[in-house]
Amino acid sequence: MPASTLTPPRRPRGLPRLGGGRAERGDRRFNLLLMAPAVLVVLALFAYPIGYAGWLSLHQWDDKISPVHPYVGVDNYHQLFSDPAYREALDRTVYFSVITVLAGVALAIGLAVLLTQQFRFRALARVLLLVPWAVPPVVNGIMWHLIFDGDTGIANTVLRGLGIIDTNKQWLSSPTSAMNVLIFAEMWKLLPFLTLLFIAALQGVPANLYRAASIDGAGAIRRFAFITLPSIRTTILFALIVQSMWSLKVFDTIYVLTGGSGGPAGGTTTINFFAYLTTFSNLDRGYGAAIAISIMALVLLIAVFWMLLFRAPSWFVARGTRRRTA
Amino acid sequence: MAHHSQHTQSSHSLPSRRSALALGGGLVAAAGLTACSGGGTASSTSATPLAPTSSAGGSIRILDDNTNKIFGSGVVARFEKDTGIKVEKYEQANFNDLHDRLATLFSAQDSSYDVVMTWAAWSAEFGRAGWLQPLSQSAVPAGVLPAALDAVSYGGTVYGLPKFASAQTMFWNKDLFEKAGLAPDTAPATWDDFVSAAKELTGGGVYGYAADLGNTDGAYQNFLRVLLLNGGTMYDSANKPVFNSDKGVDALDRLVKLLRTDKVMSPSSLQITNSSDLNTLFANGKAAIVFNWPAQYPVAVAKGALGKAAVGSGILPGIAVRSASIDGSEGFAINNYSKNKAAALKWLQYVTTAAVQKQMVQEEGWFPVTSSLLQDKTVTSELPIVSTYLQESRYQIKRFGAPWYSDVVQQLSTGITKAMLGQTTPKKALDAAADQASTIIAKYK
Repeated sequence: MPASTLTPPRRPRGLPRLGGGRAERGDRRFNLLLMAPAVLVVLALFAYPIGYAGWLSLHQWDDKISPVHPYVGVDNYHQLFSDPAYREALDRTVYFSVITVLAGVALAIGLAVLLTQQFRFRALARVLLLVPWAVPPVVNGIMWHLIFDGDTGIANTVLRGLGIIDTNKQWLSSPTSAMNVLIFAEMWKLLPFLTLLFIAALQGVPANLYRAASIDGAGAIRRFAFITLPSIRTTILFALIVQSMWSLKVFDTIYVLTGGSGGPAGGTTTINFFAYLTTFSNLDRGYGAAIAISIMALVLLIAVFWMLLFRAPSWFVARGTRRRTA
Repeated sequence: MAHHSQHTQSSHSLPSRRSALALGGGLVAAAGLTACSGGGTASSTSATPLAPTSSAGGSIRILDDNTNKIFGSGVVARFEKDTGIKVEKYEQANFNDLHDRLATLFSAQDSSYDVVMTWAAWSAEFGRAGWLQPLSQSAVPAGVLPAALDAVSYGGTVYGLPKFASAQTMFWNKDLFEKAGLAPDTAPATWDDFVSAAKELTGGGVYGYAADLGNTDGAYQNFLRVLLLNGGTMYDSANKPVFNSDKGVDALDRLVKLLRTDKVMSPSSLQITNSSDLNTLFANGKAAIVFNWPAQYPVAVAKGALGKAAVGSGILPGIAVRSASIDGSEGFAINNYSKNKAAALKWLQYVTTAAVQKQMVQEEGWFPVTSSLLQDKTVTSELPIVSTYLQESRYQIKRFGAPWYSDVVQQLSTGITKAMLGQTTPKKALDAAADQASTIIAKYK
């Protein structure tokens, strides 16, 4: 490679020197100084707690056992791999997340498509959609606890009335059914936000694309697959990432549904709830911090996974359109 | 020209770089000075036992669970009047939430509350951690029941004073007994009697028996009760878990049979997370027999419920022993980071006085904490179950409060619930829990 190619291009006449004069450099520093409070707030709110959690996770910090907190290196992280309770919590989290993320996003897209159609009472339907979103999470938990109560819950009454069950089912007494109730309650809570996201995205899709596709003979399914989905791709990516994060950190509904225990038999103890129990019920702050850091790592990994998946989506872009235009 | 004038205007309205720097520096310095002057002064955490003093005054803040209404509805006001000490805040929180809240409070060496609610497990856990103020023997009023004092003590150190005494008692619905052809005034004396009565009583939407197995502590208590009735124990003298002994396995097996084989236990028992829900179930006539805390009685005899004539109470039916029960006494302790421990101790002592204790009996249904009141005629006539407690106290009443209580109970209750659901055998469930408990307890040595 000739040496000349490594030489930076000359600065055209009239353009200011990179870095500017003294006055410009001073202004830049002044701008940085003005931004400093915001940066400090971000550091205080995010970097410090994360850093502190990381530091805590390298110590044996169990106040019930000892007031001395020795440095233990990666022992707490090592424990993650050998702890069956953590593995079980992770399995439950995967089950919970896969359903709430995939089914949640799919349902939200479906609802959004429905609510962007012209029909009578559409405005009312959109307002009603917001109701679950307006309910505070704890109230949501209490509400579903009452609905699925084995003796007095309305769920049994309705299902008995429809002839689906003969005798009352104790929804919250077995780990599997309690987890499914939890998924149901969470889906109910998350759907309005995701649906609103998709309604906003759908309103940005040019109507002439649908008209042109219709003229070309594309049916509703093909229009949905080759126009709607690719057009709201970035929103889908955002929804998947956000919902994945929420599903990993679900807490309040579990707490209220299970009386703060994550039961029955630990059946609703996801990794975030396990971190809570370890940190606050068992007071093992070091191990609890290691679990929290592992959750953060999982969130990052999942976000990266979704971004990579959406980077080269040969199956996702409008293949039909490309073929026709080629 | 317009651009120039704008620039000039903004130069005047915004501070110059130098003045902004000077202002920022000043603010940082001021914040630093404020931080230096306000923080870093940890309160005294002396372990010297606290004795009463006559000079107690000032104000205190109390964090209680939501079991008792009498404090908020009169006792606090009378305490203020009688002692001159101001109660700045009397706050109640859900029992299920309180442990974690207190642990966080203590970990942060927070002095927001001077007095906190405690019981056997927390006295051990928080006391051992150095978060509760030890009390001198001179601070303990005469005649406090040993079982009640045990709930606020650990390892020979008294960390508080009891607010009420409690032990699980058998309650039965006399009307349902009569309807099933059973003698309404005769309590089942043995476990077999209890099971056969429960079978007779089950039917038509009513279950012979109901329990609160829905959360970790509930599952543990229900197992512990049968374990004690079977002559078993949780730990040996060296704190080795022995709840998986033959007696323990048989105890859990009996509990499982009630639900799965005999089908006399209400299936909703597995999702009842609070003893107050059990109170309601019994008071509504949906369960004929329950083993519950004394507060069951006032709920059952309240207007619109079963009424006094329909509620029977007696000691728990034994298996290998005549009877045994679980202690549920609660009390108050002093936050070791409190800034006004002398006044806090005044509150603890005030709660044990006869006037407050009688009100507790009359309005809440809990047992009094002193032996003299336990024999007091006005108390026994007001609350017939006090006589049952006197009878009960002749047998073993245990709780096994320990610093590792919550960790072990978590593991054990998971096994118990799995066994109840038929997902594992009682033996496998208890063996696994005992292994885990051994690992947990080993950390405390």
